[in-house]
Amino acid sequence: MDRRKHAGLARVKEAFLYDWQFRAGVAGVVILLALVVAAPLLASHDPYEFGVDNLAPPGTAGHLLGTNHMGQDAYSMILYGIRTSLQVALISSLISGVLGVLIGGAAGYFGGKTDLVISELINAFLMVPTFFLIMLIVALFGNSITNVMIVIGITNWPGNAKLMRAQALSLRERTFVRGAVAMGETRLQILFKYILPNGIFPVVANTTRGMAGAILTEASLSFLGLGDPNIISWGQMIYAGKNYITTGWWVSAFAGAATILTVIIFYLLGDGLNHVLNPKYAFESRGK
Amino acid sequence: MNKPYIEIDRITKWYPYQDGRIFHLGGEKKWIKAVDAVSLSLRQGEILGIIGESGCGKSTLGRLLTRLEEPTSGDVRIGGVSTKEMIRRDPKQFRRHVQIVFQNPFDTFTPRDTIEKILMRPLRNHRIGANDTERRKICLEGLESGGLCPAEDIMSRYPHQLSGGQLQRISIIRSMFLQPKFIIADEPVSMLDVSVRAEIIRILQDMSRRQKAAVAFISHDIALTRYISDRIAVMYLGRIVEYGDADDVIGQPMHPYTRALLSNCASIDPDEKTTPAAIQGEPPTPVNPGPGCYFAPRCHMACPACFESYPQISHFANGHYAACQRTAE
Amino acid sequence: METVLQVKNLSVTYRNKNRSVQAVRDVSFELQKGDSLGIVGESGSGKSTLAMAILQLLPDRAAEVSGQCRFCGRELLGLEPRLLQELRWKELAVVFQKAMNALSPVHRISTQIEDIYREHEPKASRQEIRERAMELFQMVGLPERVYRLYPHEMSGGMLQRVSIAISLLHSPKLLIFDEATTALDVVTQGQILEEVLRLESVMHMSRIMITHDMSVVAAACSRTAVMYAGHMMEIGDTVQVLKRPMHPYTQGLLRSFPTLRGQRRELESIPGTLPDLSVQQPGCVFAPRCSCGDGRCHAQQPPAVRMEDGRTVACWQYGGGGHE
Repeated sequence: MDRRKHAGLARVKEAFLYDWQFRAGVAGVVILLALVVAAPLLASHDPYEFGVDNLAPPGTAGHLLGTNHMGQDAYSMILYGIRTSLQVALISSLISGVLGVLIGGAAGYFGGKTDLVISELINAFLMVPTFFLIMLIVALFGNSITNVMIVIGITNWPGNAKLMRAQALSLRERTFVRGAVAMGETRLQILFKYILPNGIFPVVANTTRGMAGAILTEASLSFLGLGDPNIISWGQMIYAGKNYITTGWWVSAFAGAATILTVIIFYLLGDGLNHVLNPKYAFESRGK
Repeated sequence: MNKPYIEIDRITKWYPYQDGRIFHLGGEKKWIKAVDAVSLSLRQGEILGIIGESGCGKSTLGRLLTRLEEPTSGDVRIGGVSTKEMIRRDPKQFRRHVQIVFQNPFDTFTPRDTIEKILMRPLRNHRIGANDTERRKICLEGLESGGLCPAEDIMSRYPHQLSGGQLQRISIIRSMFLQPKFIIADEPVSMLDVSVRAEIIRILQDMSRRQKAAVAFISHDIALTRYISDRIAVMYLGRIVEYGDADDVIGQPMHPYTRALLSNCASIDPDEKTTPAAIQGEPPTPVNPGPGCYFAPRCHMACPACFESYPQISHFANGHYAACQRTAE
Repeated sequence: METVLQVKNLSVTYRNKNRSVQAVRDVSFELQKGDSLGIVGESGSGKSTLAMAILQLLPDRAAEVSGQCRFCGRELLGLEPRLLQELRWKELAVVFQKAMNALSPVHRISTQIEDIYREHEPKASRQEIRERAMELFQMVGLPERVYRLYPHEMSGGMLQRVSIAISLLHSPKLLIFDEATTALDVVTQGQILEEVLRLESVMHMSRIMITHDMSVVAAACSRTAVMYAGHMMEIGDTVQVLKRPMHPYTQGLLRSFPTLRGQRRELESIPGTLPDLSVQQPGCVFAPRCSCGDGRCHAQQPPAVRMEDGRTVACWQYGGGGHE
């Protein structure tokens, strides 16, 4: 048991040394998390506080990145907005990832009627314009950030499920799965021990990319005025800034840049994880 | 000891034939008879070679015997107990009794686990060994008995870090942990280099002898099958066309198909040139074959009677038999 | 006798960023007109790389080829692509293991044969090509209707026959079979080998057959070369090599093949595994697995020595200063 953990750790270490995507992704996420924790210390102002300087350009009166039309400090708002973005990204993709992997894996491995029903369900979900659905649900059930996260999670699983199903379908025919049957393992054991772990790489990559998507979706909702007004999010900052884009570009621009940066970080992390999770992937500097 | 221990009783697999039409208006439904009422028996510790060309149903037979596929009908009895019953009552017990060695050693183990994890799983699952320390010892001993040294080092490896020969040995060792009564080896060495084949064959022989397990050795390599087997069965289009002691079947083949197969089999001895007996064409897909002898359309000995009904079995000395009427004449 | 192919000190090194693998090392042999040479070896022996190097089919970037390779008096290595194109099919043809991959799935066999034929004879009429194809089909034992079929309508054996027929279109001087019969059934393989032997007696071709199966060589080749880890271990007359193998590796390989007839004898395997080809070794490549290797074997590479019976063996047991 110890040895195995050791091997896993060694691999992560190796990945960290040789895989720049993984390194950049991990570093990015660590920085983001550090910023979330340290936000109260780093922020120059209370982001909820309406200051006296409206639409102050960057650098004036102690406002590093300027203020918005209500005098809130943009720098502090961006810092506090990280929390919202990460929360949305993690929780919604966790929901969509877990749902997708389980449902898709079961459909692909069990096959038969289970597969028939689930496949139809997936297709039905994929046909519905997702963003419209999200808007509808948020409009009906209220636009709290929790609702937004759950809704994004629930509408994103079919893509993951489709991927996982395809993986399970091909894994089902692999010798080691047949071997597990022959060794007397039950169908559930095989699903969780062989199908899911071996088929999960593309789903992990997809889910991490989904995190980026979730951040964008939340931003879009906020941009359309359907965000949670009680919290600070980058989408809302962009939304608020769009009326002043000619006179106060900084209100939207910095929040937009933060969004793009975070999305990129998650993309890199997705790629890096994909490399780490695949034991056959040889890092470039292996063997000198 | 001389009583058959494994009895394969008219085991059959038919697949519905899809010819692209959706509606079958009139006409009988077509079937691909992949395995057609195969009956064979094996004694404890006996190795039975099953040979035939690709598409003759030998691999399907292997999957039926291990229940990786459900047979359409028929049964296998182990020591008099129906495996059909056994599967319903206690599937795990069936798995302990019947094991399989696959063709592709590179894909036999999940790529994400170390050999230690891979070997420990079935032990835990079947509650062999009292605790993990004991199980680990069983694994190490098993690996060493298969010539995999240092066993500690092998245990910590991932499958892709090992060679095909090593993996296939591990696969056999893992099967043997369960002390099976019946092992199906489906082309176990065809993907390995020649120079390591002998080792795998030896381990298979050793283990079956030591644990008195019967082995069905499925292969297209006739020389190798002769080498390892006590008896040989020749399959053609889902049926056994000849069966007998390995040396009898290879030395005095009675069925014209076996003769053709053997004469086409090149030898490594360049002096031993044979003139291949020509058989016309290639094996057809077994869609509704018959009613006559399935081999008749390609057989040089065929007479009109061969096309009318499936031939009776002709018996020869030593339990050797062939499904051909002409050969007995 | 006319020498068709002369390979001298051919080496192939695969390179990527961090590693270089010596796939073929210092291989030399000659092929006379009408000869058939079987190159046997296990996986990793470099036999296929050797064939690819002769055919100039290795990617320039990843593989470094050195040495000489003269085909009918012309140096193949570094030949201009245009000249090479002229040689291929016309004088130098190859049949691969997977014929289905060599044929286009969306075109009829007839179309593909016409295309290949016109590559060298652009003005040939359809009728002319058809006649030629029919001639060849008859030779390889294919029915005429095959000409109108698509690849997916045929079995593996038929496709392999089609590939062979195509390779014979221009009556090449040298035909290379790269594991061309490996994927086939015993019966089909036996029949194709028989056809090939018959063809050869009619068409006076030379042939190289790459395979891992000694019995194919025994059945269909006049000369045998044994390769291991990129090195040529032994090359000579098939009957001599298989009957009285001299190199310990050949001996080991033959001991691990079961025979079909006669007494069953104990099968033996060669202990150990293929060495890592990216690591340079001072001695004989086979020394770590050899039963009779001594100090010299581990220290110095044995030279290829020509024996009295015409074969060449690379082993310290035979020569390299003083006879046994």
